[in-house]
Amino acid sequence: MHIPDAFIPLPQAAIYWIIALIFVILALRWARNELSEEKIPLIAVLAAGIFAIQAFNLPVGMGTSGHLVGGALAAIVLGSPFAAVFILTIVLIIQGVVFGDGGITTMGANIINMGVIGGFVGYYSYHGIKSAIKNDFIPAAIAAWLACFISAIACAIEMFIAGTFPLVPGIIAMGTYHAAIGIIEGVITAGAIYLIYTTRPDLMELGKGPAGSEA
Amino acid sequence: MIEELQNIERQAMGNSRVHRLDARTKIILAFAAIIAMVAYPYSPDVIVPGVLLFAFFTVIWAFSGLSAVTYLKRLILILPFGIFIIIFQIFFENSRYDTFTPILNLPLGIHVYAESVEFATILLIKFIVCISFIILLSSTTTMQDMLAGARRLGMPSEFVLVIGLMIRYLFVFAEIYGKVITVFEIRFFNAFDRNLPYRYRLKTLAYAIGSLFIRSYEQGERTYVSMLCRGYSKDSFLRVEKKKIHAKELCFLIFGVIFIVAGVLLPYMVYYRGLVLPVLSSLI
Repeated sequence: MHIPDAFIPLPQAAIYWIIALIFVILALRWARNELSEEKIPLIAVLAAGIFAIQAFNLPVGMGTSGHLVGGALAAIVLGSPFAAVFILTIVLIIQGVVFGDGGITTMGANIINMGVIGGFVGYYSYHGIKSAIKNDFIPAAIAAWLACFISAIACAIEMFIAGTFPLVPGIIAMGTYHAAIGIIEGVITAGAIYLIYTTRPDLMELGKGPAGSEA
Repeated sequence: MIEELQNIERQAMGNSRVHRLDARTKIILAFAAIIAMVAYPYSPDVIVPGVLLFAFFTVIWAFSGLSAVTYLKRLILILPFGIFIIIFQIFFENSRYDTFTPILNLPLGIHVYAESVEFATILLIKFIVCISFIILLSSTTTMQDMLAGARRLGMPSEFVLVIGLMIRYLFVFAEIYGKVITVFEIRFFNAFDRNLPYRYRLKTLAYAIGSLFIRSYEQGERTYVSMLCRGYSKDSFLRVEKKKIHAKELCFLIFGVIFIVAGVLLPYMVYYRGLVLPVLSSLI
């Protein structure tokens, strides 16, 4: 899902950068106000953890593999979509500058896809579905699937606007592949949240706990 | 990717002229080359700036003392990130062209078009030049140096602090990740082993990921407390000493930027010959 350099023309890449920067600034403000600036080191270490988590190869089926994006996981556990924006921005900077995964000019688009869309879709769909079905782990799985799938569709649309990939084949290819990866991302996210909730319930949403945990 | 962390950092700890170069110089040159390459129109003559910039990269790489094999190894690891999209280009009618000439007809009505092959080649040239400069930057500059350079270039101190901490713990988690993988191997667990129930494989992976998340969180808590003990507060920042760019380095930077800009601008002007020739003819 990482768009490399040269796959988006410079003027469009600049627009995505501006949009992404707005969310990055809002995420920094969230970190200061909601998280308290003193706890920023904690988020930094967590970002390193998310980076390692992304290294796990997950079996998708039919010989293909994928990896966790982690945006939904971070947003759900830390209780804010801005947590995903903040963490994934740092992760994407390191991936782009050190490992060449993603790009410099396309980093704005990648932050929008994985951090902003992944985080916001993951967080709000989790809370929306949770309020409807009163369960903590199924909504997490669905939210992670949606975050993965919608981010991939956004990526396909950006590539179409850039003129580097046709719309319909792009949506079919990216949509199908990430719909499959999304199922694994959903199951793994739900499993990870279950583990975190049972071993360290105080971590969920920075101590608030998932629905029903207060009871 | 994380498995490569130690290797990349080891390469970056070299002692060549390029390694010793101020990180700011390398960051500016790498970013300038990438932006210049991306800015160039998607036209077949991209080969000219592509070759010029790649030649510039090759000269710097040669001075870094790193082998061509090192570059190729890193290139092969990065190529899959973009190569599949580039390969698929040849089967589609790209929106930048009006007419399409099939050069190969495959079953199921699939065609390979000359124009699409041309566009795929343009993308490939741009992609390879861009990632080459990223490889150059990260293979000759340690992450902490890169961060200090970015701070000196004006990156906000909050970001520098967070990224600095993240980099430090990246190595810790790379090691933890390695241990988890070793434990999997010792117990003959393979996530892609079809003899194991799929549900069991996913559960094991989910727990490994969940425990890594908890470990990183708990490490974060310990780091935070130890930082508090050492006087950390909300007004703290990562101190980066001021450093002047050497005159030689500055000369190299100016030369490099001029070369990159000229290497892209001149072919562009020639491509739009109509704009250049009247100016030249008026001079004559």
